[in-house]
Amino acid sequence: MGREVAESCIDSLLTEMVSSYCNHFYANKPELAARRIEAIGYQVGHQLSERYTMERPRFSDHLEAIKFICKDFWSELFKKQIDNLKTNHRGTFVLQDNRFRWLSRMSPEPSLENVDSQDPSENKAAQATSMHLYFPCGIIRGALSNLGIPCAVSADISNLPACEYI
Amino acid sequence: MIVCVAVVGHQNNPLYIQSFTEADDDLKLHHIVHCSLDVVDERVNNPKRSGSTLNETFLGLLYPTENYKVYGYLTNTKVKFMLVTTDLDVRDADVRNFFRRFHSAYVDAVSNPFHVPGKKITSRTFAERVSNIVKSFRLNPSG
Repeated sequence: MGREVAESCIDSLLTEMVSSYCNHFYANKPELAARRIEAIGYQVGHQLSERYTMERPRFSDHLEAIKFICKDFWSELFKKQIDNLKTNHRGTFVLQDNRFRWLSRMSPEPSLENVDSQDPSENKAAQATSMHLYFPCGIIRGALSNLGIPCAVSADISNLPACEYI
Repeated sequence: MIVCVAVVGHQNNPLYIQSFTEADDDLKLHHIVHCSLDVVDERVNNPKRSGSTLNETFLGLLYPTENYKVYGYLTNTKVKFMLVTTDLDVRDADVRNFFRRFHSAYVDAVSNPFHVPGKKITSRTFAERVSNIVKSFRLNPSG
């Protein structure tokens, strides 16, 4: 029952979703747009985790579920696994992806020959990029909460195209 | 013969109950499914010493009464599937096969973006697929 779609469609869909939420629906209210995008990601993650845990035996504890997210879930979504997983053994996990697929085509700073850039400051670029991260955060949160682990997920991009989820 | 299938969410809320008999004993079947939920919880919370059953999705025969047998299946997302059947000798492999197909129909129904997780499954396609699976199970019983 699986039909395949070109990956560029997904890229375009995500870019368009972020841009329409930020610019049309909730223009000038980036927090609301962020929450809406994250909520969409939550539902998607919820449903995807149902699909990808179908054949597997049940997980015995939180660590197994997180490892499932790092390995199988990530490779289903992004064709690679998480590169680095750190934990403080007290409930915080850091997932690091060194080449995050959805950000791999984003430039780190606005180019100098960009004609319509009114304010090429670091903050705007970082903020625009961080908008794109709410969706994967929502996906992770949805998948984990469907596996029975309530959590909060935040993302950090200090060096593109690497990306960390906490 | 399968008389009833049920899908119960992780807060023990019913998501889908469908009975396949002509008789009007829906309530009794619901009651049986409800009682089996307790058995599921028991199995999950007090694992037997044999560790191989700890992580299985298929829980096996839950609750044999005088007329019915109830089989259970627990997914990773704590959604439970129950199957009530009147067959007296049903092969384990058949029931596992049934649950696998049922799980795949369930995943497709839940992936519907208009489905709200936690609410009842109202998809007609899901109902049709389930009745097809039940019919094909009926045609190839083990006994």
